[in-house]
Amino acid sequence: MRVLEPWVAAPLTEFLGESGARVALVMTSAGQVIAQHGFTRSLDVMSAAALGAGILATTDELAHILDARTGFGAVVHQGVRQGVWLAGFDTPRGRWIALVVFGPESSIGLVRLFFARFAEQIARAAPPLVPAREVLAEGFERELDQSLRALFGAS
Amino acid sequence: MTDVSLPPASAALQGLAFLELGERLRQRGQFAAAASVALAGLGHYPDVADAHDLLARIRTDQGHDAGAIAAWHAALECDPGHVGARKGLAFIAFRARDFTTAERQLELAAMQAPHDASVLAALDRVRSVQPVSAAEDEPRFTDPSGGLLLYDLQGMRLAGGIGESDDAALADAVAAEAAGLSREAARAARLLGLGRIRHLVLETADARVAVMPVAHDAALLLRRGAAIPIGRLLALAGRAAQAADDWLGRMR
Amino acid sequence: MNTSQWHDALRELTGVTGVLGALIVSADDGLVVAETAMDELATADVAALAAAVVSRAGRCTDAMRAGVPSSLHLAAEQGALLAMAGPPPLWLVAVARHDAELGRLRLLLRDFAGALR
Repeated sequence: MRVLEPWVAAPLTEFLGESGARVALVMTSAGQVIAQHGFTRSLDVMSAAALGAGILATTDELAHILDARTGFGAVVHQGVRQGVWLAGFDTPRGRWIALVVFGPESSIGLVRLFFARFAEQIARAAPPLVPAREVLAEGFERELDQSLRALFGAS
Repeated sequence: MTDVSLPPASAALQGLAFLELGERLRQRGQFAAAASVALAGLGHYPDVADAHDLLARIRTDQGHDAGAIAAWHAALECDPGHVGARKGLAFIAFRARDFTTAERQLELAAMQAPHDASVLAALDRVRSVQPVSAAEDEPRFTDPSGGLLLYDLQGMRLAGGIGESDDAALADAVAAEAAGLSREAARAARLLGLGRIRHLVLETADARVAVMPVAHDAALLLRRGAAIPIGRLLALAGRAAQAADDWLGRMR
Repeated sequence: MNTSQWHDALRELTGVTGVLGALIVSADDGLVVAETAMDELATADVAALAAAVVSRAGRCTDAMRAGVPSSLHLAAEQGALLAMAGPPPLWLVAVARHDAELGRLRLLLRDFAGALR
């Protein structure tokens, strides 16, 4: 597991253990990766994050068109050998998205059950938001490198 | 393959001749053909206990115990004093090491046929294999063929086996799966606010299985035939859990 | 049995003394198909957890070469979860307090699970 925000690790570890999910990706609604587990190549993570954020944005828009005022809780794709659970959840840091891949050892019901707990734990564990610093050109590349190293390992 | 020397099924269905035909096919190992004859006969004579008995014996030969039990029960509904059905149910129970049920069925058969040597011999045989100290088929967790498996919650087998077979690899595989089941059941009970798990009972067509925690980090699985009453299964499992707790305490 | 009759059956099950709720669960995905329950029972959680236990039980009996589970009774200190197989992938599940009429509940579950076919 790799996390950009260390306080996400414990709830995510518990979620993975309880739900039996194989892969998890937590990101902001803009597609910035917060944590990942189970991905083997950074390309997969970046593609999955972008596609996941896009799917959820599309679904939210569909909910708007259909006048579903509370939106849709989650998007689930159930395959023969594995399923994908994609859901947004509110945190003190804004709206985040989780993409979860699960196999036959788990189920939509288990992922749903423990995802709700995960979202609650994240909301409780989130430290107070520190005002964003102005990103300077000379610091931007260094911070980006640090983030990528944290998520995908040293390269 | 059908034996051409036998009369055709349609002809045999005249009267109860199908019983003889079905039995001959069964004895020759032509189980599918024998079952077809028995079922065709039952279509015409659903109230004939001997027809259900024939089907039950064929099902037993085919290894389909649940089908055999159902057929013998049907025979007893037609004729509550049917000795063959009692003997058959006793046989299935005996094979599943459910000696109490086997003995009870044979005693009922003996009441109907007090001079039937085969019933009396079977009764002697059942009584001879029962533990001297207890009327029940007391499970022994040190006997791999006893149908009692003791395992830790990491999925490692501690003692015993699953009955009918003393295959250690099979018992290890069952221990691994049973530990997963124990953990899942404990989690479900905890998250649903039901508290600590006492036992889990599973039923399949051929078996009844009790899973019971032992100490804080182990559990046992007791397997018996489908005929055993659940109350007795749990009583046996409870006694086995107590014995296993003592055994684990001494071992540790 | 149609879905209206399903709900009648579930209501009858929930009417048994000590029963907190009854539901039809899809064991493949752990989701509720139909339900009747007291407010305090989280039926979605029951479906997910019951399906997980059923799935594990199937793996266990398969390893034992004992066939497919047709019923499951989990007894705990404060209550019990009973489940009977209906037509795949459906299971009829009930949650009851420890002092419930479990014998009667079990018989009703067996009858209704058979009628789901």
